Amino acid sequence: MGGIYWIASYPKSGNTWFRTFLENLQNGGDRPAHINELSGNSIASSRSWIDDVLGVETADLTFDEIERLRPAVYDWATTYDSVSYHKIHDANRLTSQGEPLISRRGTLGAVYILRNPLDVAPSLANHNGSTIDEAITALGNPDYALAGSEHRWHRQVRQVLGSWSGHVASWIDSPALTCHVLRYEDMHTAALESFAAAARFLKLPDAAERVAQAIRFSEFSVVAQQEAEVGFRERPSRAERFFRQGRAGGWQAQLTPQQVDRIIADHGPMMQRFGYLDASGAPV
Amino acid sequence: MSRYYSAYNLTVASDIAMPELTTVQPVSDLTSDVTVRIGALPEKPSDDLEQIGPFRWANQTAYWLEIPEVARILVQNGSDILVDPAADVDEASLRAFVLGPSFGAILHQRNLLVMHGNTIRLGDKCIICVGPSGAGKSTLSAGFQRRGYQVLADDVVPITAEGLALPGFPRIKLWQETADQLEIDTSPLQRIRPQLFKYNVPVTDAYVGPALPVRWVYILNSEHRDDVRIDELRGMARLQPILDNTYSGRLVLGPAAKAQQLRMASQLAAKIRLARITRPLSGFTVDTMVDKILADIAEHP
Repeated sequence: MGGIYWIASYPKSGNTWFRTFLENLQNGGDRPAHINELSGNSIASSRSWIDDVLGVETADLTFDEIERLRPAVYDWATTYDSVSYHKIHDANRLTSQGEPLISRRGTLGAVYILRNPLDVAPSLANHNGSTIDEAITALGNPDYALAGSEHRWHRQVRQVLGSWSGHVASWIDSPALTCHVLRYEDMHTAALESFAAAARFLKLPDAAERVAQAIRFSEFSVVAQQEAEVGFRERPSRAERFFRQGRAGGWQAQLTPQQVDRIIADHGPMMQRFGYLDASGAPV
Repeated sequence: MSRYYSAYNLTVASDIAMPELTTVQPVSDLTSDVTVRIGALPEKPSDDLEQIGPFRWANQTAYWLEIPEVARILVQNGSDILVDPAADVDEASLRAFVLGPSFGAILHQRNLLVMHGNTIRLGDKCIICVGPSGAGKSTLSAGFQRRGYQVLADDVVPITAEGLALPGFPRIKLWQETADQLEIDTSPLQRIRPQLFKYNVPVTDAYVGPALPVRWVYILNSEHRDDVRIDELRGMARLQPILDNTYSGRLVLGPAAKAQQLRMASQLAAKIRLARITRPLSGFTVDTMVDKILADIAEHP
């Protein structure tokens, strides 16, 4: 029987990196998987996935109708032959009918990838083609949503993210969900240990050698090289490139002290909880 | 009381007003090929239908589709559409799901190869452009119409075993933003559903006549690039894109039906110029696409 493991994160937090790792881990091949050929497991908000399961085009449904039908789409995954892994950027929230968006029946668990919002802000600005200040406003906006315009077609259905802190809490504090938290920073500094623990959580091979190779095959230099050669399909048109820096702590050179203060004012408690602020409230 | 319409060269008798379709004057001996009735459906589909999704069931001759809070619809025998509306639903919403998925099922049950695309007339033949939702099919239809070409169908394209495309009905569905780009004033237009910023754009100079031979099929694609390009598909690469772009391919149940669809797709593939047209992901390129397609056709008449 099938079911879904969610690879959940706020955008620009390492989700694609982790999915590249997963692809390489599952392949166990002797060459890196290509970023444009990450196996077809769609993002939760993929119109083609939802349309295919519903048998109607979500383009003919309202945002609220789509949202109310999404849990049934994920439930349907229990009829599949095998377990699947799907990226998701939506906050883990309830539909207007009070049902969990990610259905309890279809969901086996979630890996939640968490990244210091001080680093998310400049990366999100690049992704959206916005200023850093606008990205900080988005991070603090409780109504922030992707694909939220009703006047045109989007490849994905609307995804309500909420604020960065709200997004994190929606996933990691959900009592009904088995959630494994993976910090982006640990993926850098304690790679083998953190990737292997995530693999174990997902019931995938976790032998050190195999995990180490999958980590090597999904390194920033490999995927950035692939993007430089042939481009990356998932790059938004507004961003010059998708794989930008791929490191932790870049904020120190990119944010003004006022911008750092704004982010801490918005997200201090959650940042402290995950070690992004020290006991005195200063960034680590 | 029934109203009579014509679509896909079939006479449709409907309880629901269908302003999108061409009206047929009722005469005394008029018989309909398809009926659309409003009525009550049982709570659940009968046991001989296989569940193929959370809200749909099918077998060779019947298709049961639920759109929660809108309607439950039973399509049978290539001729009957029974609609059981939810409380307080508007007629336009019912039409959206009758004209799309229900007609798609009717045509499939009538043993046609049903493609997800549009049909453009070129003399005594036609062009079909296929692709998934959002590929730009309707925009391209509107682009061709603006250049004086007749649009035979937009969205659901049925093709006979002989490779002839049946004309659908004279409307194109466009989002507000696309209409703005095409400089189409949406203020006098009907919305697809009152809740959506998506409009019924009437086809001017609608085609009335027999099914036309399909000569060119273009698969719509997009990627990060600056120009529009066309690549011919050859040999073994030809069949799968046709199968991938059938309308609701999951309705083809069982080995016999699958074999029949494969046979129809191969017969079509043998008769057509088949190419992939790739446009940039961003920017508005419909006129360039029309030019490229017409130039490709001139080279491959």
